[in-house]
Amino acid sequence: MSELVQTLALSLLVGGIYALVASGLTLIFGVMRVINIAHGAFLILGSFLTYTLWDALGLDPLLGVLVTTPVVFALGWAVYRLFVRPIRDAPMSSTVLLTFGLALVTEGVMGSVWGNDSTAIRPSYVNSSFHLGSVFLPEAQVYGGVVAAVVLVGFWVLLTRTWLGRAIRAAATNPASAELVGIKVTSVAALVFGLGLAAAGAGGSIIGVLYPFVPGSHYLWISRLLAIVVLGGLGSLEGAVLAALVFGVAETVTAVYVSPAWATAVPYVIVFAVLLVRPQGLLGTRLRDDAVAA
Amino acid sequence: MSAAEGGVARVRDAAGILWVGRGIAVVAGLLLVAFPLLSDDQYYQNMVILSLVFAVAATGLSIITGLTGYVSLGQGAFVGLGGYTVGVLATHHPDTSVWVWVPVAGLVAAAVALALGLVSLRTRGPAFVIITVAFLFLVQVVAINWRSVSGGTEGLSLPLPTWSADIANWPFYYSLVGLLALQLLLSWWIRRTKLGTGLVAIREDETKAATIGVNLPVEKMIAFVASTVLVGMAGGVYGYYLTFIDPRGMFNILLSVETMLALLVGGKATLWGPVLGAFIVEPLNEYTNNNLGGGNARLLLFGGLLVVIVLFLPQGVLPAVESLLTRLRTRGRAGLVGARIGTGGGISSLTGHLSLVDRPTGEASPPPLLEVKDLRKSFGGLRAVDGVHLTVPEGSITGLIGPNGSGKTTLFNLIDDTIRADSGEIWLGGERIDGLPSWSRAHRGLGRTFQITRLFREMTVLENVVAAQRSFSWGQLGRIAVSGAEARAAEELLEYVGMRAFRDQRANDLSYGQQKLVELAQVLMLDPRLILLDEPAGGINPVLIDRMSEMIRELNSYGKTFLIVEHNMPFVLGLCDPVHVLGHGRTMASGTPDEVQADPAVLDAYLGEDFVPEPRDPVAPENPSMGEEVRRP
Repeated sequence: MSELVQTLALSLLVGGIYALVASGLTLIFGVMRVINIAHGAFLILGSFLTYTLWDALGLDPLLGVLVTTPVVFALGWAVYRLFVRPIRDAPMSSTVLLTFGLALVTEGVMGSVWGNDSTAIRPSYVNSSFHLGSVFLPEAQVYGGVVAAVVLVGFWVLLTRTWLGRAIRAAATNPASAELVGIKVTSVAALVFGLGLAAAGAGGSIIGVLYPFVPGSHYLWISRLLAIVVLGGLGSLEGAVLAALVFGVAETVTAVYVSPAWATAVPYVIVFAVLLVRPQGLLGTRLRDDAVAA
Repeated sequence: MSAAEGGVARVRDAAGILWVGRGIAVVAGLLLVAFPLLSDDQYYQNMVILSLVFAVAATGLSIITGLTGYVSLGQGAFVGLGGYTVGVLATHHPDTSVWVWVPVAGLVAAAVALALGLVSLRTRGPAFVIITVAFLFLVQVVAINWRSVSGGTEGLSLPLPTWSADIANWPFYYSLVGLLALQLLLSWWIRRTKLGTGLVAIREDETKAATIGVNLPVEKMIAFVASTVLVGMAGGVYGYYLTFIDPRGMFNILLSVETMLALLVGGKATLWGPVLGAFIVEPLNEYTNNNLGGGNARLLLFGGLLVVIVLFLPQGVLPAVESLLTRLRTRGRAGLVGARIGTGGGISSLTGHLSLVDRPTGEASPPPLLEVKDLRKSFGGLRAVDGVHLTVPEGSITGLIGPNGSGKTTLFNLIDDTIRADSGEIWLGGERIDGLPSWSRAHRGLGRTFQITRLFREMTVLENVVAAQRSFSWGQLGRIAVSGAEARAAEELLEYVGMRAFRDQRANDLSYGQQKLVELAQVLMLDPRLILLDEPAGGINPVLIDRMSEMIRELNSYGKTFLIVEHNMPFVLGLCDPVHVLGHGRTMASGTPDEVQADPAVLDAYLGEDFVPEPRDPVAPENPSMGEEVRRP
């Protein structure tokens, strides 16, 4: 029984971190219909930046969020301006190929700078745990979960309570009308791309503490993230958060009760099952792919 | 030089380029066949063998990605799947020749593609590309974990070749050349068939493709299977050639990336582009591996190349060269686009294709061909169509008028399933069709044009017309579209609408009025019983409006039934009987033109109280109270 409680508690903590990163991916899709295959690569980039800050300057890796968030935001903004904007009218497949290319380049750059050996961030608290009765929770997981929740709430406030959030939603719903009421859709899009990637960067700081990583880890992450946003419904923020928690549980339970090796198959199985049974995901609405030229 | 001569010259130039291209292909093919006989340099032989594997994979990929427009990032996984099929079977049956398993590898690849297609190709949008990414990683996970079959991370060692060392790699080499030839033949054949035009139609405008009878899921799935079956076989040969396979190698994502790059570099929508691309990218890959340290350099090369191609050369090398040559050769010559539209052919020439009947006259109340009952559709809180009832009598030209936003186009969209209705019934010829997809409705005799014309922009005028599929059968999918009977029928229709001279123009280059005529020919190719026309007289010149109404009358007199949405009142009232009036998503009034234009509610909501129609015949107006002076609305 306590094993089950422990498993669930851990999986919800992990799920919170997934929720943060997946929100960024689904936001980018919801606003500009871009499936950002490079999302996992920027997450791992966040992990490597955090590693360097910790290794060279002794900065606590979870405080690294304060650095990785703005740095990756700026990168995302630049990526949008330089690469995505020129082909914003091209079909979705073009941006898939483009961001896939960016993911490979980022992987190659990380491999050149930090090497391809497994990297781990090990702050002082990495081996200690909180004990609640018979349940024990590693400190790093708890802190990581808390930081993820704080950033995620900040993200939500930004999107739902501010003028920028309304502008983003307006631009997502109807770009032409948004322009008419004075929203610079291009600037908003660049901000959204930056914000979405910043969520990946922030998540990277936390994830770097929890798991060892290599540049090639981004493939595993993009599969997880795609599974989460497909499960939640592409473009739905609430769906992404819900799906991230469900996914965290599914993955941890598989690892504990089946085998860790097969836990890596969970994302793919989820993608297949969702597309087969409910293509619009948990909270997604069917896209108006039938919109009429009239 | 006259426009027509310019067109002829352009065709001649295109043929010239074609022949130069064919010459190059023949020479390259001969070199490829002769290469192992001339050189036994193992390094280059290995490079050519790998290039051949990528050429097969990329040519296959061009069917689903280039022709159909669905990007697959998992193409490399089919190479791996083929390799593993052969590897697993060969290690379990050591006494059987390994070659026996190569066709099995093709069948496995095809079966897997079919399963993936069933999951993802029923719908549109991003599902397919996500599935292919998931598939790519999933097979690797399975190959690593399913040790009892795949040998896990340690991989599998295949039996060594049994033939003489003198011929060394020849069997691998020539079987790959053979597979490449087959794959090219398959691609070439598909391009010429109704299936091929259907696939390009899907790429250009999927919704529209469905309305002209293209069975979307089935044709997409055929395309996906056709892009993988020979690739699985090539993967089998490749695995045998390597004699050792492991999950990291066979299911490496970079195999898929390299395949995609070969396709994009060469030209994704061309026949030979993927082959050219493979022979460019694989040597680059070898160079990077041997001289720049591989690993990260390869990632930078592949990733960078992908970004550069997508941003700066989305068409690929072959189309870029081709358009450059065409520009150089046709500089200063007038295009055909400005040429006059033909006066149109006689309807008698169409009898071979259209089922034209003499309209039964004198029948008091012909049976309804189309019946719409209580049809509803809401967009959020807006009830665009709110309980419409209407009937279109067989053999009539029925009009549908109403203010902007009254739901006319939405009603059309519901009738042909461009949008699925929330509730209500639609009956066509006594058969209920509201549960059927667009293509089935088209096969049952429904044709429809769009308010803003929706031709397939990258196709020629002729291809646009032959793309229509009036029924679904495997035999029809395999029928040659671009020449022969189909093309002749299309040309007759183009002659009839006056657009035959434009048959080889790209639809994108036509004017709006010309596009309307081509779209009419396209719909006629379906030989529909009921033709829905959305503003046939909108945005075209008066001469063309007259010609349009003449054609409608003529087709009607031979049994075609029409339902027409139009704002041009003289056009509608002169042509249509009965006329239905929509307002706020409901049928406000129905009747003869005279009844409708006398209806106070219609005058109030739409026509305006001072509306006076043109007289329908030169005799005095039937209702003198409507005023002596004839005004246009």
